[in-house]
Amino acid sequence: MLKNLKNRTVPSLLLAAAVMAGCNSMPRQNVMLAEARSDYGTAQSNPNVVKLASSELKDAALALDQANAAFADRKDDEQVNKLAYLARQKIATTQEIAKRKVAEQAIIDAGKERDQVRLDQRTMEADNARMDASIAQNRVASAQIRASNAEAQTLDAQRMTAEAEARTRDLEAMLADMAATKSERGMVITLGDVLFNVNEAQLKPDGLRNVQKLAAFMTKYPQRTVLVEGFTDSTGSSAHNLELSKRRAESVRGALESMGIASDRSATRGYGESYPVAGNDTGANRQLNRRVEIILSDDQGRVVPR
Amino acid sequence: MRLKMNKNSLRFTLTTLSCVGLAVMAACSTLKTPATADVAVSKAAVSNAADAGAAEYAPMELKLAQEKLAAANKAMLAKDYKLARDLAAQAQVDAKLAQSKANTAKATAAADAVQDDVRVLREELDRAGRQ
Repeated sequence: MLKNLKNRTVPSLLLAAAVMAGCNSMPRQNVMLAEARSDYGTAQSNPNVVKLASSELKDAALALDQANAAFADRKDDEQVNKLAYLARQKIATTQEIAKRKVAEQAIIDAGKERDQVRLDQRTMEADNARMDASIAQNRVASAQIRASNAEAQTLDAQRMTAEAEARTRDLEAMLADMAATKSERGMVITLGDVLFNVNEAQLKPDGLRNVQKLAAFMTKYPQRTVLVEGFTDSTGSSAHNLELSKRRAESVRGALESMGIASDRSATRGYGESYPVAGNDTGANRQLNRRVEIILSDDQGRVVPR
Repeated sequence: MRLKMNKNSLRFTLTTLSCVGLAVMAACSTLKTPATADVAVSKAAVSNAADAGAAEYAPMELKLAQEKLAAANKAMLAKDYKLARDLAAQAQVDAKLAQSKANTAKATAAADAVQDDVRVLREELDRAGRQ
């Protein structure tokens, strides 16, 4: 009977022991406190919270400590819940403060960046304006240069025209002074018989003055040359007349040379009694035939031959 | 023996009375004054949260704080100072959270706006730079 009792009792005792052990090892739970601890762990591992909301985090830690202490002192759930709730709200507040401070820093940074971008914009606008201005200035300067070039060209042309006109006037004046007349062969200066000694080749002073004018003209227009042609009347032998006409032409040429005109700029011909300009019937007409004709070349030194 | 009994009984009565008196005084001093201060602080916290725009940015937290503050006031009228103090403490943390959330939302919105500004300016600058 005793043994039987003992056999029944052992499993019951074991069961009771197991139940008791189970109760002992089963930890007490408080959901709110567990969540507060978890929230605190999250906040503490957030560097922004630690850095930017440190005093609030300390405050939250104190609140959590109080909740933990109440739980450790086996205070009732209501009490622990109240303290854990306060801790949770304080922990949540630290997260918000950290977020706010991050956002405020972002505002500052973005503000600086915005200022920099605006500055860049102004700088670029100023550069563009300067570039535009210098392009415009270059255009104005080019236009001015073109205008002044055109003006200079106009002035040049005017000056050249004026010079040409002056030259022409000068040329015409000199030709008029030398009593040059226009012929088919160009301008011709006739030195009459009276300018030579009778039956001689030598020029009289008046004749020399005329040659002097020609020399001045040839000096001024160095591209011009002359052909000097001598003529006589039909009185006397042809040979004598030819000889006289040649010598008179040569005399003019010699006079030119003595006045500094190079010998290659003049040529001479003697035609004797050929090519009379009048009949040889009267003394006056014969005097017209006794003459020296000087044919002026054109600008290129060409003389139309007889 | 009776006299002695009476003497003992008297001492016991006096001791009991003085103990009760002390206990009542202690209870009154710890329960009455701090609850009033706590409720006042919570009221200020709720007001601050509302001023910060919590109605728009953290309506849930603000509502919680306001309800708890109202309940705390009710508990004060019912002279349940312990409950009033507990509710005031909760209303205060709720209000502070509401205020923080509102401030965060406003700062974030402002940051977004400035960053948007910068983005737009930068795009303009890039466009102008390409021209």
